Amino acid sequence: MKEKMTIILFSGEMDKAIAAFTLAATAAASNMDVSIFFTFWGLNILKKTKFARSGSQNIMQKMFNFMSTSALPITKLNMFGLGPWMMKKLMKRSGMASLEDLMRTARDLGVKYIACTTSCGVLGLTKENLTGDVDEFAGASTYLAEAVNSKVNLFI
Amino acid sequence: MKADKTLDCTGLFCPMPIVKTKIELDKMKPGEVLEVLADDPGFEKDLPAWCKTTGGQLLAMEKDGNMFKGYVTKK
Repeated sequence: MKEKMTIILFSGEMDKAIAAFTLAATAAASNMDVSIFFTFWGLNILKKTKFARSGSQNIMQKMFNFMSTSALPITKLNMFGLGPWMMKKLMKRSGMASLEDLMRTARDLGVKYIACTTSCGVLGLTKENLTGDVDEFAGASTYLAEAVNSKVNLFI
Repeated sequence: MKADKTLDCTGLFCPMPIVKTKIELDKMKPGEVLEVLADDPGFEKDLPAWCKTTGGQLLAMEKDGNMFKGYVTKK
């Protein structure tokens, strides 16, 4: 049987997402079954548009999605968005794969995406707000069913 | 060492050399040798480690200055 790896991607920062997808892509390239459970701010990584709007959002959900967008910050030296811009430049210059490259690679290698329905509900996000790459919309039990059989579990 | 195919990963950083090696090796037949060129300093340790987890076989790892040449085959 294939080894398994599960990641809970809770954070919505670019640097943390890069760490998560680097490991996910490497594990998948090592013939492991990999699934990522996106919850809370991690869902920002999957947003199709910068401000994920939907008709059913109330005023507080609109505010959250307006202030916490798919333009991901970094955990240190964010400097109101200057930090991520500089980081992307540096990564490109040094030949490091971007988050987009890593995500595409991870998907090509069969990494599975699960989006947390509770977080989607709280933030007023619908299927239409997220990329079509999401394989499943599910909850904690689905994550645990995968995690209980995997040797590598990460909370990022 | 003689190789059936060469994969140039110079200028790329982890995890791309390993990911590209996997994709390339998947297209090859068992016994065929893939030569991987890389200058990521982590590659020297990463390729043997990857072979251990996947059951690929590392035939050789050559170092030439900052360049590494790894030779792998499918078991």
